[in-house]
Amino acid sequence: MPDLTPPDVLDFQNVSKTYPGQPRPALNDLTLRVPRGSRTGVIGRSGAGKSTLVRLISGLETPDAGRLLVRGDALGPATRAAHQARTGLVFQQFNLLAQRTVLRNVTLPLELRGVPRARRDALAREHLDLVGLGEYAGRYPAQLSGGQKQRVGIARALVTAPDLLLADEATSALDPETSAGILNLLLDLQRERDLTLVIVTHQLEVVRAVTTHVAVLDAGQLVETGETAAVLRAPRHAATRALLDAHRPQVPLAPDETLRRVTLPDLNPDTLAALARAGARIVQAEPHPQGLDVWIAAPAASPEWAVLA
Amino acid sequence: MTWDALWPLLWQGTLDTLWMVVPAALCAQLIGTALGVLLTLTRPDGLHPQRPLFRVLDAAVNVGRSLPFIILLVLLIPFTRLITGTSIGSTAAIVPLTVAAIPFVARLVDGALKDVPRGVVDAARAMGASTAQTVFKVLLPEARPALIHAFTVMIVSLIGYSAMAGAIGGGGLGDLAIRYGYQRFETGVMIATVAALLVLVQLTQWAGDRAAARSDHR
Repeated sequence: MPDLTPPDVLDFQNVSKTYPGQPRPALNDLTLRVPRGSRTGVIGRSGAGKSTLVRLISGLETPDAGRLLVRGDALGPATRAAHQARTGLVFQQFNLLAQRTVLRNVTLPLELRGVPRARRDALAREHLDLVGLGEYAGRYPAQLSGGQKQRVGIARALVTAPDLLLADEATSALDPETSAGILNLLLDLQRERDLTLVIVTHQLEVVRAVTTHVAVLDAGQLVETGETAAVLRAPRHAATRALLDAHRPQVPLAPDETLRRVTLPDLNPDTLAALARAGARIVQAEPHPQGLDVWIAAPAASPEWAVLA
Repeated sequence: MTWDALWPLLWQGTLDTLWMVVPAALCAQLIGTALGVLLTLTRPDGLHPQRPLFRVLDAAVNVGRSLPFIILLVLLIPFTRLITGTSIGSTAAIVPLTVAAIPFVARLVDGALKDVPRGVVDAARAMGASTAQTVFKVLLPEARPALIHAFTVMIVSLIGYSAMAGAIGGGGLGDLAIRYGYQRFETGVMIATVAALLVLVQLTQWAGDRAAARSDHR
């Protein structure tokens, strides 16, 4: 019987990569599978190997050792172009062409593939409408805000109808509110278009808000992987714990208090009353795709946690 | 000298200067841009690192830029004769002017292309752009304002260089200033010529700055 299950979108098999002149590998023996339709976060500090991972997937680098299969194929001269067309990339610095209008930025990937002008203009306009920027087709990137530039970047990434969307620190240059908007857009598009979403980030809140699975990189190695909720609840590796701790607000706590993080749809009177009953106080609140990301300091034994959770 | 006698001289001098500078500028921009692109592509951190080729090109550009124009003019006489059939006159001066401007343009283009953000180039590559597509759809268009600026600077330099073409009977405004102003002590001609050169340079710079600003959407 032939195996009819479609191959994983990404399948890293013991992949290593060392850049010339560098003492240690940027990626070391990485084995990781990204199943079709998943939302996978790749998290790590700077220097963990995230950029190298992105460069390998996008075909800008090739592994020194091991194999990277993209949709079941090794990326080579014969297969690279086809896979690049089906992989949409969204970047931290947007990487829009400053001398092209918004419309011409979105048509670029189609232009590179020789799609006729009328067709690529129609597709680009359709995708600008999709990200809510139909009115901005004739402007230049310099005339847009950061969030708008990233929406153009997303339109450009999707215009070739990819099945894999790779977001490389896509919200790291944006303020929290704008980030939440972009993450929501990515989530909606992922569901609508049945995309595999790979989010590479150093921001834990991005992984928490968007992903189903997470892979933690540290010093070029995969140190922990699993379902996002499970990994964040009970991190096994020191690097994961460090990422979690780095995000805790630095506030003085009473001896019996602990700091907890909850996601609330809003801060309505009922919630505030529940917090007051629990003797809890809000330490920090930030916008989040599902409402607010709130850090709460409360007595460890408070029974009211259940109300919030 | 009266204005009536001076005008035809100035007019002819301006035409001669333009006849030397404009074709030389166009040729130099074409060849210099190609050379600049080659430098950018082959440098060690370029898209197609070719260390030996890069070293040769880089050295050639440096040598070309360090040769005084008057020396180049003389050195190139056999080459000039080969191309134009003569080694004297305005047309003959086009050859050394072009050769002098090529390394200049190459260096400016190389610098302009280096200023295109690496991330933008990588993004295009990741979208599947070939090297030619990266050069013609990303690098050169993104560097356009800087390229226009380079072109302007080069024309202004060539106007200056063209004054030396008088040494091979090239004519032009510089030649006029030397023959009348210096050798015949006609201070009036000297001043008028300098004024004409000034106007030419100012116009070029103004037009170049305007074109660069209009084409820049950053």
